[in-house]
Amino acid sequence: MLAVSINAAIGRGAILLGLLTCLSGIAITVAGIRKHDLRALKSAPRYAYLAFAAALLAFIMMERALITRDFSMKYVQQVGSRDTPALFNFTAVWSALEGSILLWLLALTGLIAAVARKFRARVGDELLAWAMVVMFVVGLFFFLLSFGPANPFAMGALGVNDGPGPNPLLQNHILVLFHPPILYVGYVGFTVPFAFAMAALITGRVGEGWLLETRRWTLYAWGFLTVGIILGSWWSYEVLGWSGVWAWDPVENASFLPWLTGTAYLHSVLVQERRGMLRVWNLSLVIATFSLTILGTFLTRSGVINSVHAFSAGSVGPWLLTFFAIIVVVAIFLVGRRGDQLRSPGAIDSPLSREGAFLANNVLFSIFAFVVLLGTVFPLIVEALNNRRIVVGEPFFDRMTMPLGLTLLFLMAIAPVLPWRKASQEVLRDRLFWPAWCGVGALALSVIVGADGWASLAAFALGGFAAGAALRQIALASRRQGWRGVVGRANGGMVVHIGVIIIAVAFSASSSYTRTQEFVMKVGETVTFADHTFTFEGLSLESDDVKTSVKAAIRIDGDSVYSPARSKYIKQGMDIGTPSVKTGFVNDLYITLEGNVRTTDTEARIKIFVKPLIMWLWIGGALMALGTVLAAFPGKRRQPTAPVSADSVLTQSTTDEHV
Amino acid sequence: MTNLFNKKMKRWPAWVVMLFCVVALMLIGTQRDSGPSTPQERIESISQRLACPTCDGESVYESRGAASQAIRKEIARQVADGQLTDSQIVKAIDDSYTADLKLVPGGTGFDALIWILPIVLLVVAIAGLVVVFKRWKTQGSLTATDADRDLVETALRQVSENRDS
Repeated sequence: MLAVSINAAIGRGAILLGLLTCLSGIAITVAGIRKHDLRALKSAPRYAYLAFAAALLAFIMMERALITRDFSMKYVQQVGSRDTPALFNFTAVWSALEGSILLWLLALTGLIAAVARKFRARVGDELLAWAMVVMFVVGLFFFLLSFGPANPFAMGALGVNDGPGPNPLLQNHILVLFHPPILYVGYVGFTVPFAFAMAALITGRVGEGWLLETRRWTLYAWGFLTVGIILGSWWSYEVLGWSGVWAWDPVENASFLPWLTGTAYLHSVLVQERRGMLRVWNLSLVIATFSLTILGTFLTRSGVINSVHAFSAGSVGPWLLTFFAIIVVVAIFLVGRRGDQLRSPGAIDSPLSREGAFLANNVLFSIFAFVVLLGTVFPLIVEALNNRRIVVGEPFFDRMTMPLGLTLLFLMAIAPVLPWRKASQEVLRDRLFWPAWCGVGALALSVIVGADGWASLAAFALGGFAAGAALRQIALASRRQGWRGVVGRANGGMVVHIGVIIIAVAFSASSSYTRTQEFVMKVGETVTFADHTFTFEGLSLESDDVKTSVKAAIRIDGDSVYSPARSKYIKQGMDIGTPSVKTGFVNDLYITLEGNVRTTDTEARIKIFVKPLIMWLWIGGALMALGTVLAAFPGKRRQPTAPVSADSVLTQSTTDEHV
Repeated sequence: MTNLFNKKMKRWPAWVVMLFCVVALMLIGTQRDSGPSTPQERIESISQRLACPTCDGESVYESRGAASQAIRKEIARQVADGQLTDSQIVKAIDDSYTADLKLVPGGTGFDALIWILPIVLLVVAIAGLVVVFKRWKTQGSLTATDADRDLVETALRQVSENRDS
């Protein structure tokens, strides 16, 4: 074994190269802007490509180190193992802090390179040049993290020939390959609108230009974050064994916070594009969204908050907190400096208008984000000020966010049918009539199938109402534009709405109507629960190099056999339960094997959860992803002279609608 | 004919019928709200209100750890005993540990801030919106100047020329 690993040497060299590249990129671009030197500005994309190449090389060297089992490296000693299967050995890169930062760097520099390539013909534009500078600064920070406190290429103790491998929870499901990278692309994606927003503030070009430049980038970032969160829920459901999809855990909240502010931004940006209003608000939302990705990373990677999803803690806390503080201070200073230019001359004529609904939507999303942030950091505040440890969990979040969620569903029903500027009573009556009956229909159906509880019933009714409004918009758009009726921002947005509604209804049903029963079953015994029969056919032992698993064979309804298991991971000594799920459109049958079991046992504790509508959570997520893609496609171009606002009150009731 | 029928249907009596349906259906639905129906579901419901004392931020319901198993057993014992309400069981178990196991912060003292602050923010936001809308109303719409009209006319002319060509 070499005293210095070739993987570590090249990897560290690549990180240093990336760091110096970002530094040079900042210096050259700033000098180019100051001296109006087009040649210098034209070189900026090359620095972006080189930074990406450096991050890619570092990532490859880390993969090579894990694949070749280079146990001279500390990180490989920590997460590598000779026995880990190839897939989980590949994903082990992002199974702890240092590797996660490496993956973050790869996604970030890839994005910076993509932006540089997209805008390469316009690098002389000062706005774009400053945006590149801001992105280089963010890149520099993460290269610094990787070079300093989160160095993945540090050398380990001598004489180590094997390691424990990744956390067992990170090596028993295929989603470990998809969830973290997709989520990270979502996180870093918000760097682009943030960079353009800062560039707009620096250059004073605070009009709508930067919004239009970053529209699709923001949409893609939001889409990736959405898919990342949904996949995380799915993974949690399939792996953790408590049958839930969301527990308001700090790591979950860290991903949800930028999603909330990002969603608010995607709506309020329409008001600025159409009416030139809410400039400060939109800038604040973009800055908040980016800052929250950094704050969330601090909360979950610094070790200040414990989470079952964190898998790592390190010394990056002060760095991330400092970077967060710098972003906030600089952003506030820049917004303050451009105060006069950011004032909008327009006015929102009526709360009963599209822009009024967007404003209400933004207020609700902001309060939602505040509640989630407060609940997440409150234990820290109490500990710091009162020297007391408290836990804030699911019941608090459920109680506080439920009314907000229901009001947002109501707004989702109202907003799509509202015209810009002002809506008359006649228009509202006309456009909301059938969607409202859809809500009543959904409520009636819920009552017929036995639903109870006012909150769930309200969610189903409002879900039906909102779905009616979204379907009405799609139907009207399709009638006018044919297949293009589902393409474009407004129409794709309605598909996203339908996805959100399906998730809201499925989440409400699965939270409220889960039925659970634990049975101690003898081999050969059959029990009946929730109109299904479960026969315990015995226990079996399976073992490989990594784990020893005891599996229970449960035959459901005399048909297929499902095998919940308990696995002992040999090197970590951890006992992990793995549920087995029979998936259906109406109910999932989720089975777990409880307690300590041996294959010689003649009985076992089997827990059965009947979870309604779970599959619809994933279908809703897929629809949200599809809607995002459809929204990114250019819709039918509106004639510049076509009306975009409500007609005068006198003619409103007689005209057809225009969205 | 269809349009006329459509218009007539959407008049206020139909909305009143709709409101009646909603109220009736909600009443039917909420009347049969019975909460956890079996002792097992009561155990699950209580375990969702307590934190696992040895885990990374998990509730007793979520955790598969030994400490959570012990608490779950204690909940099952209390439920089978039938003497205490759900809240009393939560309090009894919380009191028996030195750490605070309640997942819902209290409504008094410093902890009350977690409940109050969001409400304060909501009130401030609503008040802010009311003020802003009032200001917008008194400010009124902007009046187009002759220069604005010229700009619009030029733009419209260009559009129609482009379309013709």
